[in-house]
Amino acid sequence: MFANLRRMMKMHRIFIAQDLKRMMEYKIDFLTGAFSFLLGQAINIIFLAIIFSQIPTLIGWTFEEIVFIYGFSLLPKALDHLFCDNLWRVGYFIVDKGDFDKYLTRPINPLFSVIVELFQVDALGELIVGLLLIGSTIGQVSIHWSVLNVILFLIVLPFATLIYTGVKTITAAIAFWTKRSGHITHMFYMVNDFAKYPTNIYNSFIKTVITYIIPFAFTAFYPASYFLTGENPWFNIGGTVVISVVLFTVAVFVWNKGVSAYESAGS
Amino acid sequence: MIYAENLKKEFKKTIKQPGLAGSFKSLFNPKTEKITAVDDISFHVAKGEVMGFIGPNGAGKSTVIKMLTGILTPTSGQCTINGQIPQKNRKQYVKEIGVVFGQRTQLWWDLPLTETYSVLKEIYEVPEDRFKKRMDFLNEVLDLQPFIKSPVRTLSLGQRMRADIAASLLHSPKVLFLDEPTIGLDVVVKDNIRKAIAKINAEEQTTVILTTHDLSDIELLCKRIVMIDKGRNVFDGNLHDLKAKFGQMRELCFEAKSVDGLLQKLDYKAHFRVTDDDVVVNNNGCSVNVRFNSDLIPVADMLGYTLSQVSVNDINVKDADIEEIIRRLYKQEVDVNA
Repeated sequence: MFANLRRMMKMHRIFIAQDLKRMMEYKIDFLTGAFSFLLGQAINIIFLAIIFSQIPTLIGWTFEEIVFIYGFSLLPKALDHLFCDNLWRVGYFIVDKGDFDKYLTRPINPLFSVIVELFQVDALGELIVGLLLIGSTIGQVSIHWSVLNVILFLIVLPFATLIYTGVKTITAAIAFWTKRSGHITHMFYMVNDFAKYPTNIYNSFIKTVITYIIPFAFTAFYPASYFLTGENPWFNIGGTVVISVVLFTVAVFVWNKGVSAYESAGS
Repeated sequence: MIYAENLKKEFKKTIKQPGLAGSFKSLFNPKTEKITAVDDISFHVAKGEVMGFIGPNGAGKSTVIKMLTGILTPTSGQCTINGQIPQKNRKQYVKEIGVVFGQRTQLWWDLPLTETYSVLKEIYEVPEDRFKKRMDFLNEVLDLQPFIKSPVRTLSLGQRMRADIAASLLHSPKVLFLDEPTIGLDVVVKDNIRKAIAKINAEEQTTVILTTHDLSDIELLCKRIVMIDKGRNVFDGNLHDLKAKFGQMRELCFEAKSVDGLLQKLDYKAHFRVTDDDVVVNNNGCSVNVRFNSDLIPVADMLGYTLSQVSVNDINVKDADIEEIIRRLYKQEVDVNA
């Protein structure tokens, strides 16, 4: 088990190195991607600032607190984007074109193999913006950065990331039956926009959906609200851990079912 | 070594009605149809054997290969390779096989070839010293040196194919599956690849299963042939048997000087007293193509008669392609069954 894990970590490092080398081959493409992402984020923040110039608080949340939640939401999204971006390609063309064949003829887990194949450096921009936004709220929001909270913060991040990865894995796996599912992934993925804002601004239907069905609320608002208020640690932090593990387990199950239903493509 | 027993694979296919309205209809009320791509195929390949797996397009060759390599799960039936079932314990199984699909590549598209090999070395856990020896060997057999530092996307098709074959052999597999390894290559490259496959088979007793449409691949490499058509096994034996059994079809091609009365002058059937099955004439203006059974009509007689009847610019005789043999073979099967 541990030898296996060590080997997987080693493979992961090698693949990341491969991708950095690949990126060096396409510098301009990388720079354009980074620029357009930063522009998008800047527009979002300006938009938030304009709204808050009209209203003092949003159901009790101040502008700085909303910025903290927004910044927090970017971290798991960025981590998933950084490590698991290749899942998009599964639904868009890897299965449809029959390119999934090669993952099945290698002696490593196909899901792992797909995921490590792409290290999406573009996501570093998201990560940096997220950290900057969180940093900018220091002193303006009442967070008590105790040792425990710092540890909880570091623990909750990978689990929140797993929610993104789980949603993408399930929707990508649909392609094994339908050949293409990229648009389904896109549809579900877009729900994450709801998670950037406090869930109590939504009606109960949307709230239920983003809490229990497509649990993106656990990637941002719930854990972030714990750090902001110190309330409900069991639900806000514990819930993130439990929901993400359950979701990812279901995702792996669906994925494995999908792999045995895979039909390849004629050559 | 390789046992395939009653392999069967069915695909579900949605039948789409034509037009936009049809698309909507099939969206809400999809009609599906079962397509049997492979129907009850069995064969056995011994260790160290090179088996040619042939059949026309859509016969089910690739589907069989994909079941043997563990990519597809058979609808029914089973295959065991070296005592292992590919779909069970897949990770262990694929360490013992190498796979090349001529139409795809497993190389890292944007990176130099050497990078692909060092990643594969990690994936297959090849120790450093064995990796070095292996690379030397593959370099010698497949001549990778001239392009080993170039990004894969800049390689020519022939170079890429050699690189892909080397990639599939890096971990010294016991079985090598090659799906159309010579497709789209020129004669010289084809020849090099055939030599490399023959050498690897001879030196390491690697069992090879290869699919191809090129009869020369079969003639130069395979002692054993399994032929399928419409998902069924139609022939299993060696090339010699195949030719002895189904007649040596040859093709005579020539360019006549004049098109006037060309076909009237050439009455092969009456002259050699053979049936429609044994001589087929096609022409496109002056260029004529005659397929004939050289067991019944010796090549010399064929040439002699043709040249005595018409004056030609250019003439040559070649083996008929594999499709022709399959066509005859399949026809014969149907006749036998009827």
